[in-house]
Amino acid sequence: MMKLFKLVAKNLGRRKGRTAFTVFGVASALAMLVLVESLGTGMSRAMDSTDAARTLVVFRKNRYCPQTSFLPESYTRRIEDLAGVESILPVKVFLNNCRASLDLVTFQGAPVETLLEQRNVRMVAGDAEAFRRQHDAALVGAEFAQRKGLGVGDRFRFGDIDVKVTGIFESDETTHESLILTHLEYLQRAGPVDRLGTVTQFEVFAEADVDVKDLATRIDGLFATAEEPTDTRPRVAYLESATRDLREILRFGRLLALACVAVVLSLVANTILMSVQERVRELGVMRSLGFRESHVVVLILGEALALAGLGALIGVGGALFLLGSMPLAIGSEGVTVSFAVTPGLVARGFAVAIATGVVAGLVPAIQSSRRGIVDSLGN
Amino acid sequence: MSFIELRGVTRRYVKGEHTVTPLEEVDLDIAEGEFLVLIGPSGSGKTTLLNLLAGIDAPQAGSVHVGGFDVGHGRSGQLARWRARTVGYVFQRANLVPVLTAYENVELPLWLQKLSRRERHDRVTLALTAVGLADRAHHLPKQLSGGQEQRVAIARAIVADPDLLVADEPTGSLDAESARGILTLLRRLNDERGKTIVMVTHDPFAAGFGKRVLHLDKGKLLAKDDASGAPRAVAR
Repeated sequence: MMKLFKLVAKNLGRRKGRTAFTVFGVASALAMLVLVESLGTGMSRAMDSTDAARTLVVFRKNRYCPQTSFLPESYTRRIEDLAGVESILPVKVFLNNCRASLDLVTFQGAPVETLLEQRNVRMVAGDAEAFRRQHDAALVGAEFAQRKGLGVGDRFRFGDIDVKVTGIFESDETTHESLILTHLEYLQRAGPVDRLGTVTQFEVFAEADVDVKDLATRIDGLFATAEEPTDTRPRVAYLESATRDLREILRFGRLLALACVAVVLSLVANTILMSVQERVRELGVMRSLGFRESHVVVLILGEALALAGLGALIGVGGALFLLGSMPLAIGSEGVTVSFAVTPGLVARGFAVAIATGVVAGLVPAIQSSRRGIVDSLGN
Repeated sequence: MSFIELRGVTRRYVKGEHTVTPLEEVDLDIAEGEFLVLIGPSGSGKTTLLNLLAGIDAPQAGSVHVGGFDVGHGRSGQLARWRARTVGYVFQRANLVPVLTAYENVELPLWLQKLSRRERHDRVTLALTAVGLADRAHHLPKQLSGGQEQRVAIARAIVADPDLLVADEPTGSLDAESARGILTLLRRLNDERGKTIVMVTHDPFAAGFGKRVLHLDKGKLLAKDDASGAPRAVAR
């Protein structure tokens, strides 16, 4: 059997150009598939990691972009006084783009002590003390720091906002790792004067055993007649709403990836068909020497699998290298989702390649094996 | 019982609306160690007869037995194993696998046998030496002449030490000198190793290397009268 695999390798070397183009096609499609699916994995992580049961996000009613949501900071006390509220974090958000973007920069300013208490951040570089002391200090999420090549002590400037990185953090909430956290007042002062004293949203942490839906209704009821009414939703619902553009992109990307897999299927099948047609007589000679039908199936299927497997190795490897060397993230409405690769996704990429190889090679393999020897020899 | 025994063998092909019968009611006995030459015009059924003997084709009627094995009615896998052990086939063209060296081409039939690497090496070297190409072992087919390629094909046919060697116009595409070398080699395999050889040719010069000559015409087997050169029907 090992000898047959050696022959498979030699056969692929017959038409080096054709083999190379086929492998390149498979690799491109597999890279595309892995990139799209890594966004899907990142999206699932973003949704799964949130504390859906107890966190509510209070947003300005009928506003969808954080840039247009302004709520008086004074709402903090009134919400805090409601029964069932454990803590509340007023958050000012500043971002460069409200629509889907591959380079989303999101600042979140909040009262430092509450921020450090409520956001479960783990410092991986720098320290929180420096963040407490300096009014222009910033804690940068690990994903964003890696994406922008930021380290402790660096300054990061965006528009009128100029911050000094005093710490880099990780979080159980993957969407938080793309944020730049600042002092609330510092971010408020960076905006227009008439927006001083306003925040973008409140993050309300409910007490255990509290009906969050009821709490959301009570919060919205509190400001129903106010000039700035609120729309309160569980964090998951908020994330789902904020990432709807991303999910559309993901859906479209998956369709494209599926189309790529179909193209790869045709490409591999075409290569194998051409290869088999060129070797009808040769396969007949092998059968006359005593090679069985199963040997022919193994030989041809082996070639299809080798093409698909080699393409997968390059494509999946290339995608992993790309995501490893250049962390990709896509954001929308202030929520950033990182492309995430898991061993399961890598396995899925190879499984798709193997399935494609089998489907593409099986019909030519069976046809060739069943072809009469005399017919193959052209006698 | 003869080593090869054909009884009432008929083979028909359907080509479009026509039925062609290259062999009809053929009886033939070939003794072990014989060098039989089948001659006849194109379309007379020579290659069809050879294919039946080699177990790569099956008759519609009659029986083909080689060394007691019923070649005409074996299952595909069973026939493949039988071919690997018993038959060496030499084609008009060498039909070598172009990506394999002469050594690897000769080694091909041994892939099907449970042999150690050493045993395979010894057998391949022996076969290549027998055809005088030991020094060309690592050449690719494209680096060999037509005659050398055909000699590699003969080495491939004999490497598994089969009892029967069938050759379909093995010198048909070679120049006179190469053809003489191949025919001498086949005769030597018959004389020195006792291989049973059945060779098809339409070349009277090549036929002269056999020990018995039979004439095929329109699917019927005729014996050739060597003295007069005129064929006569074989009595059944």
